[in-house]
Amino acid sequence: FGGIGKGHLVREVDALDGLCGRVCDLAGVHYKVLNRCKGPAVWGLRAQVDRGLYRDNMRKEILNTPLLTVHEASVEDLLLTEPEPDHPGKCRVRGVVLGDGSTVHTGSVILTTGTFLRGMIHVGLEKHPAGRLGDQPSIGLAQTLERLGFAVGRLKTGTPPRLAKDTIDFSGLEERTADNPPVPFSFLSKAVWIKPEDQLSCYLTYTNPKAQQIVQDNLHLNNHVRETTKGPRYCPSLEAKVLRFPNREHQVWLEPEGLESNVIYPQGLSMTLPPELQEQVIKSIRGLEKAKMLQPGYGVQYDYLDPRQLTASLESRLVQRLFFAGQINGTTGYEEAAAQGVIAGINACLRVRGKPPFIVSRTEGYIGVLIDDLTTLGTNEPYRMFTSRVEFRMSLRPDNADARLTHRGFEEAGCVSQQRYEQAVKMKAALEDGIAALKSLQFSVSKWSQLIPEVRLSSKSTLVLHSAFDILQYPEANMEILARAIPEPLRKFAKWRELSERLKIEAAYEWCVVNQQEEIEEVRQDEALQLPEDLDYFAIDASLSTEVREKLSSNRPQTIGAVSRIPGITPAAIVNLLRFVKNKHRKAEKLKAFPQTDKYLPGKMYSEKAASQTQISAELSEEEPESTFVKTPV
Amino acid sequence: MALRGALSAAGRRWAQQRLCCTARGDTIFAVSSGHGRCGVAVIRTSGPGSRGALRSLTGRPELPPPRVLALRRIRDPATAEPLDRGLVVWFPGPQSFTGEDCAELHVHGGPAVVSGVLRALGRLPGLRPAEPGEFTRRAFHRGKLDLTAAEGLGDLIHAETEAQRRQALRQMEGELGRLYQRWSETLTQALAHLEAYIDFSEDDNVEEEVLSQVDAAVRALEQELGAHLQDGRRGELLRGGVRAVIAGPPNVGKSSLLNLLCRRPAAIVSPVAGTTRDVVEVSLNVTGYPVVLSDTAGLRDATDPVEREGVSRARDRLQRADLVLAVLDATAVPAEPAGLGAAVGSLVPPAAPCILVLNKADLLGGDTGALRAACARGPPVPPATLLSCKTGDGIDRLLELLGQQLAQLCGDPLAGSPSLTQSRHSQHLGDCAAALARYGRHRARDLGLAAEQLRLARRHLGRITGHVGAEDVLDIIFRDFCVGK
Repeated sequence: FGGIGKGHLVREVDALDGLCGRVCDLAGVHYKVLNRCKGPAVWGLRAQVDRGLYRDNMRKEILNTPLLTVHEASVEDLLLTEPEPDHPGKCRVRGVVLGDGSTVHTGSVILTTGTFLRGMIHVGLEKHPAGRLGDQPSIGLAQTLERLGFAVGRLKTGTPPRLAKDTIDFSGLEERTADNPPVPFSFLSKAVWIKPEDQLSCYLTYTNPKAQQIVQDNLHLNNHVRETTKGPRYCPSLEAKVLRFPNREHQVWLEPEGLESNVIYPQGLSMTLPPELQEQVIKSIRGLEKAKMLQPGYGVQYDYLDPRQLTASLESRLVQRLFFAGQINGTTGYEEAAAQGVIAGINACLRVRGKPPFIVSRTEGYIGVLIDDLTTLGTNEPYRMFTSRVEFRMSLRPDNADARLTHRGFEEAGCVSQQRYEQAVKMKAALEDGIAALKSLQFSVSKWSQLIPEVRLSSKSTLVLHSAFDILQYPEANMEILARAIPEPLRKFAKWRELSERLKIEAAYEWCVVNQQEEIEEVRQDEALQLPEDLDYFAIDASLSTEVREKLSSNRPQTIGAVSRIPGITPAAIVNLLRFVKNKHRKAEKLKAFPQTDKYLPGKMYSEKAASQTQISAELSEEEPESTFVKTPV
Repeated sequence: MALRGALSAAGRRWAQQRLCCTARGDTIFAVSSGHGRCGVAVIRTSGPGSRGALRSLTGRPELPPPRVLALRRIRDPATAEPLDRGLVVWFPGPQSFTGEDCAELHVHGGPAVVSGVLRALGRLPGLRPAEPGEFTRRAFHRGKLDLTAAEGLGDLIHAETEAQRRQALRQMEGELGRLYQRWSETLTQALAHLEAYIDFSEDDNVEEEVLSQVDAAVRALEQELGAHLQDGRRGELLRGGVRAVIAGPPNVGKSSLLNLLCRRPAAIVSPVAGTTRDVVEVSLNVTGYPVVLSDTAGLRDATDPVEREGVSRARDRLQRADLVLAVLDATAVPAEPAGLGAAVGSLVPPAAPCILVLNKADLLGGDTGALRAACARGPPVPPATLLSCKTGDGIDRLLELLGQQLAQLCGDPLAGSPSLTQSRHSQHLGDCAAALARYGRHRARDLGLAAEQLRLARRHLGRITGHVGAEDVLDIIFRDFCVGK
């Protein structure tokens, strides 16, 4: 669970009180922060998780959730009814039909079918319908969705064979030990469940030319690799790696699946060769010469729906109150699924209550980037989160996910517990206080050199005053050193370890965050300008080329901001579209109150935000501009 | 509110400073004169820096009273060199076109004066050239835009961005263009490799040496950029003027038209060297506007390889033309608007400004009424006239049409002008170099911050060479590295 970019998602899901982070803190057997030496903005929290423990803890959490009824059955069809007139969509979902023909009535439905929609498992030349090894695929539902007119595509993914731990010779392999102390995923966890020294190690081994030879000699036995269904460019199967980057060693990480488990997950060995050939490949690898294969690797091909058919709240445009989350929207992995799940869940509920949707902007979180990319641009390979997809990477860090999302989650979505909210409020106040105190301590370079000789300052100018906040940016500086030199008022901040760490990070990123603020502001302004859901781009009277109309119509951008990210849309087209915009002024005002630089402003705190985020359909100002200006271009 | 109470006095002081600081925003400027090549050009600024800009350029601490024209000497604040004497107006926000503080400088319309003022503005801190549509967007965000005008504004922006695109395309043909392109590729590659190192190195075979390659590439680029900037604004000077291209099927009289235009007293001819074998180019002055007129090979599906090359060059020219003179044989065209429009459409790139010339009018029989009516029809028929290159009949009407089109194209004397393009370029190159320098500073401390500087650098370069998105970076990552579980 987690990883670079994905760890960000888990932190954000946790900030909205989603469960996966907390449950990972109760179930991990190996915690590791990736990218430790590359800066806190790109740290990747990750854990190897014990499947059994995760399942048990998650089940406990779910079954103990008040007012939640859990019913396990296959869903075969949807119950549909007349659409609500004030929303786009040709019908509205009002329930589901189960495998035994019984029905469940509901205000909204979220479909999270994973790889089950018409799932087909491939091993060698054999294939059989299954969503996961041993589980039936979902066919009836796939047909229903297609009949309703959803655009359906096909994706593929794969999983490696599993190995018996007690048959592997780890002695000659590179060991990677876990972090000590482990860093928890959740803002609520003070520590993870496991004792640091009880954590399990991972081991690294490599493929060699022999494995490559086996793959190359047997391509004719490998349907999954030859077929054209789109697979990812990353996470490729061993076959894809060998074909695209031949004559190299490829890494294989041997990861424990659990504390008591004898199963090893060889990450990097995903393959779809016939099982006996998989065994040959495995035995060709150092340390695995005698390894026993418990289960062969296999490929899965499955249906996904073009996510451009969804709004940013993940509700479908075709069927009202029908939401989609996870691999059905063309994403990979647990973390992307969790991120969509929390948003779909919040919005399915808000929708039933008749409240405005809860949207995370690209400027607020990785969740926002993920969903905006999917719903605006679509995808033709399983979409995976990378930090490089994120424009405002310096502001959207794992450390401050709570400051970015918890307050909004509590106030607008009602999805955050009182305890979490209070903790976030306390942390925010302490950060503001700490930064203000650090900023108020200003001395010359020579004075600082006396105070803290261990920090070497690069500035030579004796005239300029430096604040303690500036000093904190230096790699050698930390709150402890500063508090030793200036106990009053810094001691009380330095005593709180988590706060000290966050203050240092804030100091390091201040310059970048302030510089990005303007750009963030522009993006937010553009995102506050919403295009009506039902705009017919072919019918509107605006000078737009056919090409632009086609792009707009197939991508269905929801805001002017989204329009500007569609390749090939011109500035002129954007200005022409402004006429059709609904202005969410108050929302924009509210967003302005948000993170980083502004968040310390006394007049602009979260709690002050207008209670309502009602979407105002702004009548565009009829005010006559001074006549001399009317004709001016730019 | 408890949180506010928690803030110390010092914190409040700091917060107030910060408030001023975040309210700052940047200030944009652009030429925004009306139509025609009139004697006065209007340069407008919008944003909180307008006040300071007006003070700096007039050299006076006090501003004129709001919304009242004042005569001022305008000088370059960096050199104190006088640029012009002109009228200035101060519009404090929110009572201005954009709702922000705005200033206007009405200066003499010559390119030297205007580009001098623009350069001076560009050197002021916090000021930068406006992006296409930016004034309008700002006005819109502050609820100032009269939307009946939005459509017209959109069209104007379209015309302007098209002019800039064509200008950039021309610039990109030359050595300079190749240089920028190479820099952009280097930078995108360096960034992609750094991003790969950030996103994948812990799990995949992205090795440490990638990083030292990135460092070396960035250092080399920084030096090269520095040297280039030191070189002043040398760059290749582009010949100013509207690029007009004569195009049409073979044997309709394109070359005769060129000669006719050259022979007329309205057109002053100066032959220009470097005309290619098949594209003949002359510089003219038509009703006061500079025009570079090219005659191209007749457009048809040629079989002869030399002719094919000529046709391909002609099509290339057409793509870059500011104005197309589409020539057709008057005796061989349909005499109704739809057919005529289609005939032009098959020759000319869509949306290119165009004048239709129906040559060989002298060969038309008696009744030309239907054809004349079709010419006067308007869309889908572009402005059109009948002409006889042989007798010279219709040339006055052609010159009138040309004059109208040129007035529109030159309405903004600097949209896409070489000097403006070049001053924009040097500004972005400077910003790019500054970001590369910061890369070096962050590199050892925080790779994320270092990557941010490369992103910034690339964005500035991208303003010159065209946009590059996150997907391009990912493409390079997946091409160059084997990544994935």
